[in-house]
Amino acid sequence: MTIVIGALQYLGYVLIFPGFLFCFLAGMLLCGIDRKLVAKMQKRVGPPVLQPFYDFFKLCGKETIVPAAAERITFMLAPLVGLAALVVIQLFIPVFGFTAFSGMADIIVILYLLLIPALAIILGGAASGSPYAGVGLSREMVTIISCELPLVLVLLAVAKTVGDEMGTGLCFSLSSIAQYQMLNGSLITKISMVPAAVALLLIIPGETGNHPFDAAEAETEICEGMLAEYSGAPLGVFKLSHAVKMLTLTSLFVALFLGGLGTGILPLDVLLMFLLCAVITAVAISFVHAVTARLRIEQIFKYYWTVVSALALISLVLAWYGL
Amino acid sequence: MNFLGNVLSYQHFPIYAIMVLFLGSFLIAVFGENRIARNILALLSITASLGFILKLVGPVLMDGEIIAYWMGAREPAGGYAIGIALEVDALSLFFALLVSIAVFVSGVYSIQYMNRDDNEKEYYTLYLLLCGGVMGMVLSGDLFNMFIMVEILTFAAVALTAFRNTVRGAVEAAFKYLVVGCMGSTCILVGTAILYAQTHTLNFAQLSQLVPGDVNTATKVAFALLFVGFGTKAFIVPFHPLAADAHGAAPASISVIISGVLTKSGIYGIIRITYFLFQSMGLGTMQFLLVFIGSLSMFICVTMALAQHDFKRLLAFHSISQIGYVLTAVGLCTALGVSAGLYHAINHTLFKGLLFLAAGAVLHETGTTDLNKLGGLAKKMPYTTVLFLVGAFSISGVPPFNGFASKWMVYQATYQKAVESGNIGFLLVTIIALVTSVLTLASFVKVSHSVFFGQLPEGLEHVKEVSFGMRFAMAIFAVLCVVTGLFPNLVTSYLTEPAARAVFNVAHYIEAMGFDGSAVTEPVAVSFSHVGTWDPVSWLLVLCIALLSVTIVAVGSKYDNVSRSKAAATESKYELFYGGEAQELSQLGGDDLFWGFKHNWRGYFNYMHRLHSGIVNDYALWAVVDLALVMLFSLIVL
Amino acid sequence: MIMLNYIASFFLIGLGLYAIVTKYNLVKTVIGLSIADYGVNLLLISIGFNPGGTAPIFTWSELDYNSFFVDPVPQALTLTSIVIGACVTAMSLALVIKLEEQYGTIDTRKIRRLRG
Repeated sequence: MTIVIGALQYLGYVLIFPGFLFCFLAGMLLCGIDRKLVAKMQKRVGPPVLQPFYDFFKLCGKETIVPAAAERITFMLAPLVGLAALVVIQLFIPVFGFTAFSGMADIIVILYLLLIPALAIILGGAASGSPYAGVGLSREMVTIISCELPLVLVLLAVAKTVGDEMGTGLCFSLSSIAQYQMLNGSLITKISMVPAAVALLLIIPGETGNHPFDAAEAETEICEGMLAEYSGAPLGVFKLSHAVKMLTLTSLFVALFLGGLGTGILPLDVLLMFLLCAVITAVAISFVHAVTARLRIEQIFKYYWTVVSALALISLVLAWYGL
Repeated sequence: MNFLGNVLSYQHFPIYAIMVLFLGSFLIAVFGENRIARNILALLSITASLGFILKLVGPVLMDGEIIAYWMGAREPAGGYAIGIALEVDALSLFFALLVSIAVFVSGVYSIQYMNRDDNEKEYYTLYLLLCGGVMGMVLSGDLFNMFIMVEILTFAAVALTAFRNTVRGAVEAAFKYLVVGCMGSTCILVGTAILYAQTHTLNFAQLSQLVPGDVNTATKVAFALLFVGFGTKAFIVPFHPLAADAHGAAPASISVIISGVLTKSGIYGIIRITYFLFQSMGLGTMQFLLVFIGSLSMFICVTMALAQHDFKRLLAFHSISQIGYVLTAVGLCTALGVSAGLYHAINHTLFKGLLFLAAGAVLHETGTTDLNKLGGLAKKMPYTTVLFLVGAFSISGVPPFNGFASKWMVYQATYQKAVESGNIGFLLVTIIALVTSVLTLASFVKVSHSVFFGQLPEGLEHVKEVSFGMRFAMAIFAVLCVVTGLFPNLVTSYLTEPAARAVFNVAHYIEAMGFDGSAVTEPVAVSFSHVGTWDPVSWLLVLCIALLSVTIVAVGSKYDNVSRSKAAATESKYELFYGGEAQELSQLGGDDLFWGFKHNWRGYFNYMHRLHSGIVNDYALWAVVDLALVMLFSLIVL
Repeated sequence: MIMLNYIASFFLIGLGLYAIVTKYNLVKTVIGLSIADYGVNLLLISIGFNPGGTAPIFTWSELDYNSFFVDPVPQALTLTSIVIGACVTAMSLALVIKLEEQYGTIDTRKIRRLRG
């Protein structure tokens, strides 16, 4: 009996919270807030906040066209795998004190799990056979390489800081990082972690492929790159994945740097986390989107491996010497 | 009956495992004209060898027994080893297991793969000679015997590199490999001679007893010579161009052996001389040497791979890059590090074997491995594509495949070492390892796009899926890749931990041969705990539930709501979008796919391109300079 | 006297390496390999040498604690090494012939299709 209840509980985690339903609602809302904010900053009216939902359901009703040149199975499977992998990452990210699945994956694993959705979109694009997709996947991969170095540095800095404080030397476990922050206050209050937090803020739009780091999907130039041949429901799923990825990365930021703000009451915590995610979206994605123009791919690379990496490195060195 | 029982005692199995391979080789040379006889002989000998090694897993890996075998029962007399010995501890058997598995799969693959070549008899003769050489090397308990086996395997590998001598650059690659390989072998021989002059023994256990207590200028020089000599066999920097040349030209089944097994034997040699012969791994400087060369190999080779446009040449550079991981982890001299390194060694054999076989399948069907001339093969060769993707995900460390499990341990080990020793250099190594991993992913995205996805070029419409035998061989590797990735705890506790324990238990190794091991300083405690958590099975379970629920929703809501009929395929809406231009073949070549990355590093890439000039004198010069530097290093620090 | 052997052997090895590194003619490269190999053989023989010792060839009845002979092990090693050296030379010359057929030259600077 307890096994059945336990199984149902985990199923509930996967399907409802913090799994699919939550990811769907929260991600789409974040996406809508982002679009509205960018419009306001650019003195436009902008779409309603619920527009991503309308878009998604409309796309689901459209005909799905698989090009004759495409490799059908990969083409159709890629969006689903990408979405599922993203939702599973969300399960490992603590909501302050609460983690759906703790003890299953640490931050290094999360770093690698984040590659799977990107790989899914890359392989899906490659399978479509479109030349635009080829250009797009080349840029997407370079964007991933660009973000990887600073992200690694940020994660190592956090692992070192928390590990030092806990006396274990280093700590890769996300739930331990969350617990540490619940007891000792958010990591952002430590002076050595501030550059890392800024670096992670700058990484978020790159990882999600938002403006100005959206060279991989540049609509005006290469017709959305890897998505060029996608239509109907698969396209909708990719759009959804993009929204969920915004949620995942912003909530990762909350878990890593703002983890001490939790109240201990789960519904309140969830609401708080969503609000924090929205704020981070506004700062890291919408604001940057509104004030910048799209970068070329080699500029993206240079920017991440110099400015952002330097910020993260400062943090790491400070953490290393226990400051 | 008693005689039979004696002959079938597992004490004799190591020598049987070596001899069946050599015997097979000689028998094929004599009776190999008939195709069926040849295949049966080859299969018999590799299966027998695998069987003997598997039989030894129980006593040696599980029970921790060390098999000391004196050929002709010539045991040591007067305190000196005069006979030729085989000594099989868990470390030897671990490598022998890798060898026999890779040899078995590659042998099965060869039967279909080589069916369009002539001189198959010579191929199998040399192939079994190569396998026997590697097997003999890892099981030998005698330094000079190791040298002989190294020579045998070098010759066989050189001859097999030049086997398809009409392939572009095959003979050239073989010649370069021969020159630098022989320089390496000469180094090993001189090193052996110097050690013999110092200690009057060639037995490994006795050398391990005598050498560490008597370190003088001569033994320091010998260390440098042996290190560089085994380095050429492992193709670590600066010997990596040879591997690239050799792999590009050799048949794929041979590349599996060279990359998966021969390089491992070099690593095995390095472990033996550093941990056993000189027992010098406690020195921080010695750890620095291994970790430095490992990290250098890791990074230089992955960037070199990004610049390649030949499938097999690219794989060759990656293979050295992965060897860099192994060497780095082994060089940490911690239980976690050695375990991680050996784990990565298994995984590398499996996934690199799989990838080379996939490259061979593409070559077999299309006749080329040039990334700029291929594309869209996923529709023609679906099984090969899936198997290739398993290999590609494994090597790039995508969870839950095996590459991730071992790389994750390597990161932990390096970072833990950095924290424990307070040395920020190891932190840099962690970062290099993580960045190398994503660059590996990039180059396999390139391969999968330019070979299996994208558009099908003209002239490849007739391509068919490879035969069942070849797919079966690849599938063995693929299944092993998934299994070793899903159950990291089983692999560490049953394979790598016993081997790591053997590495840290030198006294036992010496005493098993009947020598005095009491002078060995206390071994490092071999137990480790993971810093992080990674539970692949549960993760996969959750992913499957998630994937299943999305799929159910997707299918339920008519995700794929128009099923395309054959007739409709010609409708214009199923054509690719070209922005109104005429539809023509526009497959992106693999050559410069990631120019955004390479543009920022153009100085580095141009310099590297000039440096790898292809002139054999340059490579020989690198070898000499490397030798001089290592010698200087060992004279100062050892 | 034996010191001269050691000096000569390392000189030969060095000479061989020098030839391999600096000579652009493939045949000279092969000669360099052989010279280095002879150097190693000389080194091996010198290591086993005992001044005044006889050849290490005895039957069991002849052998006693007073017999004084040179160390037989390095001689065995040398024999093996000579055989291997011959193999290296034969194989590399065969490859040189093939290279000459395919490239029309034996200049190492021109035999560099595989590079980068």
